[in-house]
Amino acid sequence: MKIVVDAKSWNPVPDLREVFAHRDLFLTLAYRDVRVRYAQTMLGLGWALFQPLATLLIMVLVFGRAVKVDTQGVPYSLFAITGISAWSYFAFVLKESGSSLIGAQEMVRKIYFPRLIIPLSKATVGLIDMGVAVVLMLIMFAVHGRMPAPNALLAIPFLLGIMCAALGVGIWISALTIRFRDLQHVVPFIVQFGLFATPVAYPAELVTRSLPHWVQVLYFMNPMSGLVEGYRWSLLGGAPPDQLIWVSVVFTGLLLISGLFYFRSMERYLADLV
Amino acid sequence: MSDRMVLVEGIGKRYRLGGPARMDIRKGLAHNLRALAQRGGEHFWALRDVDLELRQGEALGIIGRNGAGKSTLLKILSRITNPTEGRFEIHGRVSSLLEVGTGFHPELSGRENIFLNGTILGMRRSEVKRKFDEIVDFSGVELFIDNPVKHYSSGQKVRLAFAVAAHLEPEVLIIDEVLAVGDLEFQRKCLGKMQDVTSSGRTILFVSHNMSAINSLCRRCILLEHGAKTMEGETADVVHAYVHGNDQEASGVVDLSGSPVTGDGAARLLQLRWVDPQGNTLPRAKVTDAVGLEVSYEVLREGVRPQPVVFIHDSEGDHIFTSFPGIDVAVGRTVGRHVATLRLPANLFNEDTYFASLWLATWLPHKVHQVHENVINISVMDDLASPTRSPSHYRIRGALRPLFPWDIGVRQGTGDHLGS
Repeated sequence: MKIVVDAKSWNPVPDLREVFAHRDLFLTLAYRDVRVRYAQTMLGLGWALFQPLATLLIMVLVFGRAVKVDTQGVPYSLFAITGISAWSYFAFVLKESGSSLIGAQEMVRKIYFPRLIIPLSKATVGLIDMGVAVVLMLIMFAVHGRMPAPNALLAIPFLLGIMCAALGVGIWISALTIRFRDLQHVVPFIVQFGLFATPVAYPAELVTRSLPHWVQVLYFMNPMSGLVEGYRWSLLGGAPPDQLIWVSVVFTGLLLISGLFYFRSMERYLADLV
Repeated sequence: MSDRMVLVEGIGKRYRLGGPARMDIRKGLAHNLRALAQRGGEHFWALRDVDLELRQGEALGIIGRNGAGKSTLLKILSRITNPTEGRFEIHGRVSSLLEVGTGFHPELSGRENIFLNGTILGMRRSEVKRKFDEIVDFSGVELFIDNPVKHYSSGQKVRLAFAVAAHLEPEVLIIDEVLAVGDLEFQRKCLGKMQDVTSSGRTILFVSHNMSAINSLCRRCILLEHGAKTMEGETADVVHAYVHGNDQEASGVVDLSGSPVTGDGAARLLQLRWVDPQGNTLPRAKVTDAVGLEVSYEVLREGVRPQPVVFIHDSEGDHIFTSFPGIDVAVGRTVGRHVATLRLPANLFNEDTYFASLWLATWLPHKVHQVHENVINISVMDDLASPTRSPSHYRIRGALRPLFPWDIGVRQGTGDHLGS
């Protein structure tokens, strides 16, 4: 093993191999975060169950009962829980990313490791919440006596896409908070805004049908728009989603790759800045 | 293949004055515009043009005053921060120990923290698992291993953390002043462990203010001053030069109120002064003088309770004693400026030059706010009127020459039993 550091030559390409070499650290940190999050809180896993349930309840009341959103024959509660199970993960990762590096500053100042491990391990913790929400969704299927659509396995690539989108945005945010600390306070706004700009509580078609084409493209530049649409379609069936969801897929890729590069460029100043 | 393990060439690190370039978004946007117009600003070099070479099995000591760049050098070599110029290469597996117990989480059990800390320090999980029993054994906390670490005493925590660190098997080990924590017994254990490390052919870079630790561990040493390497050679020579290099003008006063605030910013040292009982500055003293060390400091932040901790060293660099107002002393802890004076009795010092180092520290929870190494010295001369003076021109041996009472009388009786 040989380590060479040269102030003059610096490789701007994210070194994912090194991240992989530190996988044990990644696993341990993820384990620590899971343990700390669920071990000592009074509600424990119940909290992971309560959040999506409460969101579901309010959506059913507002969009299902009061507004009567047209879900084309799908029971609204089932419709909403598919969206929630995807969105809650995205929201979790965003919130955690904002504070992840600042929260780890003691470690960052004392030890070397690929810093990307910090947002990555935080994102992993969110998988537990997502798992709980998915189980909740399956229960809702049973309650309504429905089976997932025949092409339900397509939900898996969409779910992976959602993870990539969450990571992409999360890595961007965590890298930005190194330099702009007050960005953490903007994150809750992004999450709140995103919830309405994403077809979580309503079908995308409802919003986009009356809009000019370029606004529709803009709407799907939100990576979560297309991914949530596709995820829901693969689970519930019905008319296939708009071709514009590919815009979301492309933007997810762009966000993730550019995020990795930006993180790489910030990483080397991290210990001096936090 | 050469057995050169570490090669450092022209390493330098430049920092921006007035804090790091972290900012809020509004300033950030303005800054980027300005940065286009003018690059640069106020900078200073924490480290410049440092070259090093270490062969396998060598232990190199790094000494120097506070702010000389020792920690910066170790941080660069540990890859925590990047150098501004120069390059280095390290052959082999590196572990750096800039702190014991990095990443410890109070809610987790001792067992979980061993894995956590072990992987943070670069061990594989399987490796930790293999050494687990040994680590627990070394730490001496096996009874509590499944209890959350928050219920541990601070001593237990340090022992557990060091036990993990001691079981690293790197080829190159970088250590910063970790011996400063823990009791004497613990420090001895650490030092023994580190000697094992070098004798097993591994390479060590070791920063310490503890000259006797440096002496016993390292054959070669470098001296850093103001970010530059000013001396390299046999440890004894470098330590001697370092200790005597501080023989500054014997004014008896060191004023730091104008220098930038180091440490965590919670408190800072303003001035140190040797004083006589009337409060006059004492540039040098006689062994028969009662000497005071007046510490002026400022508490800058609420919520901390700093007090000065004074370490007295002799001219050999040996640590003679430590003194502080007391764990329970509550005065001088509020935000604002304070003066505390350590009063040393007459007939305590020997004929020597003594050096004082100083911490501003809060005891509970333990936190060192500022460290000032060898910040002031005093020459103590003999006095013909001293009751403990040497009868000839020989210096009386010993780091101190305290005047203790003696009971002297005529021995009663003739039996074999004393005092009966």
